[in-house]
Amino acid sequence: MTGAVLSYSESPDLAGEVAAAGQEVAKMLGAEAVSLELDEVSPGLLTANKVVLVKGELPLEAIADSAAAGILELVKARGFGALLIAETRFGTIVAAKVAARLRVGSLGKGKKLRVDEGRLVIERDVYGGRFTATVASRLPCVAVVQAGAYEAADASPGPAESVAVTVGEPKVAITQTKQGQQGEAGIKSALKIVSAGRGFARKEDLVIAQDLASALGASLGCSRPLSSDLGWMGEEAHIGLTGAYVHPQLYVAIGISGQLQHVAGIKDSKVIVAINKDAHAPIFQVADYGIVGDLYEVVPALTKALKQG
Amino acid sequence: MNIVVLVKSAVDEAELKADQSGHPVLKGAATKMSAFDMNGVEEAVKLKEKNGGTVIVLTLGGPEAKKAIKEAMAMGGTKAVHVLAEAADAPDSLGTAYCLAQAIKRIGAVDLVVSSEGASDTYQGEVGAMVAEFLDLPFIAYAKKVETDGVKVRCEQGLRGTVRVLEARLPAVVSVVSEANVPRYPTLLQVMVAGKKAIEDVPIASLKGPDYPDTGTVVVDVSVQSASRKRVIFDGTPEEAARKLAGALKQEGVL
Ligand SMILES: Cc1cc2nc3c(=O)[nH]c(=O)nc-3n(C[C@H](O)[C@H](O)[C@H](O)COP(=O)(O)OP(=O)(O)OC[C@H]3O[C@@H](n4cnc5c(N)ncnc54)[C@H](O)[C@@H]3O)c2cc1C
Repeated sequence: MTGAVLSYSESPDLAGEVAAAGQEVAKMLGAEAVSLELDEVSPGLLTANKVVLVKGELPLEAIADSAAAGILELVKARGFGALLIAETRFGTIVAAKVAARLRVGSLGKGKKLRVDEGRLVIERDVYGGRFTATVASRLPCVAVVQAGAYEAADASPGPAESVAVTVGEPKVAITQTKQGQQGEAGIKSALKIVSAGRGFARKEDLVIAQDLASALGASLGCSRPLSSDLGWMGEEAHIGLTGAYVHPQLYVAIGISGQLQHVAGIKDSKVIVAINKDAHAPIFQVADYGIVGDLYEVVPALTKALKQG
Repeated sequence: MNIVVLVKSAVDEAELKADQSGHPVLKGAATKMSAFDMNGVEEAVKLKEKNGGTVIVLTLGGPEAKKAIKEAMAMGGTKAVHVLAEAADAPDSLGTAYCLAQAIKRIGAVDLVVSSEGASDTYQGEVGAMVAEFLDLPFIAYAKKVETDGVKVRCEQGLRGTVRVLEARLPAVVSVVSEANVPRYPTLLQVMVAGKKAIEDVPIASLKGPDYPDTGTVVVDVSVQSASRKRVIFDGTPEEAARKLAGALKQEGVL
């Protein structure tokens, strides 16, 4: 019989989703689904899976080194069929480390996991998200699961089996921790998103986007330059190939040109709205509804129209 | 200080065409240095300028990768090692990391390996971490600031809403994000000089030892994505257009 399908996320927002992915893959393999938790059981873990709680002599989720080491200790003792980790920067590092240590295949970040002739298959974006690559690997292997690809179950997990591991000192030391720019928590699972791009001239002007977001009950996201280059918003708020993949009912892109890499992250949105002063901006090609105009006029007008019902 | 910077030659995704069956036309497609690797090279060259030493550009790829290597050399690379792998022999991410790690072992006294957060064509962001594991070295990911005194490397990393300062003893592997720096534009003279610098070719087969990880990971298919959207544009004054849009969103049931 195939070893257990393990699922893991350090993020409470994604623990349930990746558990659901694990359950689906486990069913296809006729294997057991196990949700791995490190340090403590995440409040976001809603699953019918068996839960194994791994604890080390140090907090494992303090650093990717320790998280990977904790998972390694467990799988070395028990074996596994596949390890699924929810896509975050932290999760990406943990997955790469575990795959390298075990010398097993790494399928990368994707969705639509399936089993074909005993191999695990994933679909992932390549070439800026213009193409889909289908990648297969022998078992056991490691895969990173894109947010929104699976729906979290709504069950309360049974009692967790606790396992103690010894991981040793990580090779990297944390010498200082500062509060950074907070990203929008839970943007990956938001139902409505208002997203700001470089069309905003100043950080203060983001209040215009925030007002629309409040009127809609939406979360606020951004294009990569706003978080990475300008530092106006937290890293977690940036949407696209290198940031969050989102799948809201409504995505409103304001002052965003719609380059491939941004669009990669919004394709699974139900309705896409674009507001941009350039009629030729590529975002209009991938939008359902658009207004060509100055965001400083159009967005307040839209906020007002929505408030009036 | 000897710094190795990992550089990937990537297909220019904006220029890439699909054939009639939806597969990418990779033969003869334009390539360039992967966008974020320019940040890796910039960081490596900056560290060299500050601390002295060499920057060795390390690339795994086909013959077309020479272009990306030359771009990196023009930015300030001292020398280059090209692990030659034809497309048919292109390894998976773990195999790539194994070969790069083997090449680094051959280079010898390396203090720091710099990679970027991910390649512009595949964006998996795994290879740096995997190279560190194969070399059994500390790895600091997603660094937005890198400092070294020749003994330790200290980085700022933004992750999960906090900025942390991480520290590791050298030798170490660091991956940088694009906000770490602004890549320099080489001058014409630098480009010309770089064109003449020696590039050491290493056939991939010569790096594969008995411990080469054959994971059976293969790309089965690559196909173009298609999306159809309504593409309705509302016109009129901002107020009129906004009202029409609000009406459409209500009708869609997404409010
Ligand atoms: C490997 C790689 C990965 C990347 N990953 C990502 C990613 O994950 N996410 C991401 O977002 N980007 C990513 N990028 C960057 C991406 O290519 C674009 O550079 C970026 O998305 C552009 O952001 P923007 O649309 O906000 O800015 P711009 O492209 O500068 O667009 C600004 C837009 O605002 C409009 N505008 C200006 N003023 C006004 C006004 N007053 N009213 C209305 N409209 C106005 C302009 O017409 C323009 O269309 C990546 C790039 C690379 C190379």
